[in-house]
Amino acid sequence: MNDHNTLPLSMLSRRRLLAGAAGLSAAGVVLAGLGGGPRKSAAAPRVTITEGNVQPIPIALPDFVGGQPADNELARSVTQVITADLRRCGLFAPIDPAAFIDKITNTDTVPNYPNWRAINAQALVVGRLRRQGDGRLQTEFRLWDVVAGQYLAGQQFVTTADSWRRIAHIIADLIYERLTGDTGYFDTRIAFVDETGPPERRVKRLAIMDQDGAGARYLTHGQDLVLTPRFSPSSQELVYMSYGQGDPKVYLLKVETLDREIVGNFPGMSFSPRFSPDNRRVVMSLQQGGNSNIFVMDLQSKATTRLTDTAAIDTAPCYSPNGDRICFESDRGGSQQIYVMAASGGPAERITFGEGSYSTPVWSPRGDFIAFTRIGQGQFAIGVIKPDKSGERIITEGYHNEGPTWAPNGRVLMFFRDPGGNGGPSLFSVDIAGRNEQRVPTPSFASDPAWSPLLSSS
Amino acid sequence: MKTGLTISTVGHAALLAWAALLASGLFAARPLDAPPTESMPIDIVSATEFSQLRAGKLDAPKPQQPKQVEKIADPKPQPSSAQKVVDKREIVSAFAPTPPPPPEPKVVEPKRTAEAKVEPKSKAPEKEAEHKPDPIAEALKRDEAKKPDTKPEPKNEAKNQLTKQETKPEPKQVEMTKPQPKFDASRIAALLDKRETQRHATTGDTINLTAALGTRTGDSPQLSASEIDAFRHKVGTCWNPPAGATNADRVRVLMTIRLKPDRTLAAPPEVEISARDAATQAMIDAAVRAIIQCQPYAMFSLQRYDAWKEIPLDFNPTEMFGG
Repeated sequence: MNDHNTLPLSMLSRRRLLAGAAGLSAAGVVLAGLGGGPRKSAAAPRVTITEGNVQPIPIALPDFVGGQPADNELARSVTQVITADLRRCGLFAPIDPAAFIDKITNTDTVPNYPNWRAINAQALVVGRLRRQGDGRLQTEFRLWDVVAGQYLAGQQFVTTADSWRRIAHIIADLIYERLTGDTGYFDTRIAFVDETGPPERRVKRLAIMDQDGAGARYLTHGQDLVLTPRFSPSSQELVYMSYGQGDPKVYLLKVETLDREIVGNFPGMSFSPRFSPDNRRVVMSLQQGGNSNIFVMDLQSKATTRLTDTAAIDTAPCYSPNGDRICFESDRGGSQQIYVMAASGGPAERITFGEGSYSTPVWSPRGDFIAFTRIGQGQFAIGVIKPDKSGERIITEGYHNEGPTWAPNGRVLMFFRDPGGNGGPSLFSVDIAGRNEQRVPTPSFASDPAWSPLLSSS
Repeated sequence: MKTGLTISTVGHAALLAWAALLASGLFAARPLDAPPTESMPIDIVSATEFSQLRAGKLDAPKPQQPKQVEKIADPKPQPSSAQKVVDKREIVSAFAPTPPPPPEPKVVEPKRTAEAKVEPKSKAPEKEAEHKPDPIAEALKRDEAKKPDTKPEPKNEAKNQLTKQETKPEPKQVEMTKPQPKFDASRIAALLDKRETQRHATTGDTINLTAALGTRTGDSPQLSASEIDAFRHKVGTCWNPPAGATNADRVRVLMTIRLKPDRTLAAPPEVEISARDAATQAMIDAAVRAIIQCQPYAMFSLQRYDAWKEIPLDFNPTEMFGG
């Protein structure tokens, strides 16, 4: 059985070789005739640009046009909120309206690009706000690329009149996303511990506000000490530790109704709660004698599972964005360091090895970094490290910085800073590169911030 | 047996014929079609020649030391450069119908300068004594005698004076003289064209500056390194890539731009990647904005328009964002 296609080498006879040679020679003639085409001229070399000039994008935000003269005031307020959002994030440089050459009266026409280029604007936002017959607000905006002379984005919203601030934040998010390529974080809330009164009799209340400090309201009355509020992925609930008459316990609070329930009734102290990304479980620490271990409780079945079992203090657990791992702090190695383990428990891997102690690990919503507080040499520093132990860097340092929390896009951190003395703590935000550190306005002293996910996406 | 021998003979003959064909080069592998390198004209200077060029000479004149001035005199007023220009412009063109300079009365004074050779002097009798009969001079003399009008040049005049033993030229002769375009080495300056320079390009705008000596496949002129650096720097100043976006450091924007001779864009940049997500779209927009905002690209020489009329670009933020 000799197949022509699978001819064994041993069967190659001299005759076959000769025949093959003749065939090859014929093929050679054909190939020679085909070869030797004209040489393709070489393309011009590609010029590589590796160094840019990163700076805030100059953006023009003329006041939105009101549908009626009575709407002009509200339209101006919407514009001011958008402008403040974009300015505070540090990536945009809103242009002073006094420099505008054109006055926007009609948002349905293409803008006169040269007049906006003349004031060095790269982007232009125009918008219109009018009150519908049913009392609701109709708000629309258009984003233009002034340099390239093209339309970039636009959207229309209809909402109740009291939600105008949220509409402004949503528009700012859309502008941010279209121009930076990243999701925004303006339509978010901050939960924090509001602190009033003298240091020795400090009243701590759970409070919530917009990320720009507007609309603050209190969720507790101040009789109990509250600590470590954490948002659920839906932004509708908060878990926090409250310390009243008995042991500190973890509570779950519905933000809108202010309904409150205790998360598990364990003997001893429970603290450092945090939701899982799927919103179905809460991971927390339970005190057991002189130690504490990490447990997870299913919110539906109330079933509790132990994740660590060591003779050490394991606390401050936090899920990775996809929920498959948990980072936490532990002194099992002698000093407080950050460890990472599977969400189901098991062996943990230490990821921090620097001087001092590391605490309050928080996994970035992007998953690329874990933020922490490092205490050493009398300084409290906020830093980040990659889960693979690389890329550790300090973002900000000072007498007392603590409690980092991530913006939903993972590029901004918020934390609280306490200068000591008779003063009190304040909230600050800083971008992941350590730039654009800004104080976040709060009604009074504030600590333990927790950044909510984007409200419009949850 | 016989059949086998025949087959073997025919087979070997065919093999030999195949080998012969190979050797003849008919089926030989084509040599690599490498483009001929363009020649560049250079001068070869050997080490010996270079040494000789640089070597000193023993008999070279000594460099004169500047004299030490003990007392600095009052500064003399220097003629201004503007005045010099005016003086120069007063030089009369050779073509102007001006009479030759009238002989100075000092012609009788003895002179030691080189000009004395052409001036009538008291040494003239001595020169005449040494003068040998010259047939050409004699012929010229005859010509001059026939054409007394053609004596505009002082040299000829002097010769005539020498031969005729005259001490004074005839003013009437000068007045009657017609300007003739005769070459006079001592008046080359007068022959120069004193008109204003015509500042126009001497050749076409697209002169080929490459030293191509006629290769069949020579490349077109390419951008110089300094032009590329200047272009890269300028575009970099206008390029504001969105920092911090997810995976922004891995988004490379490839595009091709086409420029007009006035160094502005002939068309919108042609982006060669697709916007698969918001981050890529933002990176593309930032690159396009940079290219539009940075024009015109004045660093490019018009003579090399072929090299920059179409430029492929790669915006790569990897190094910027720490890769």
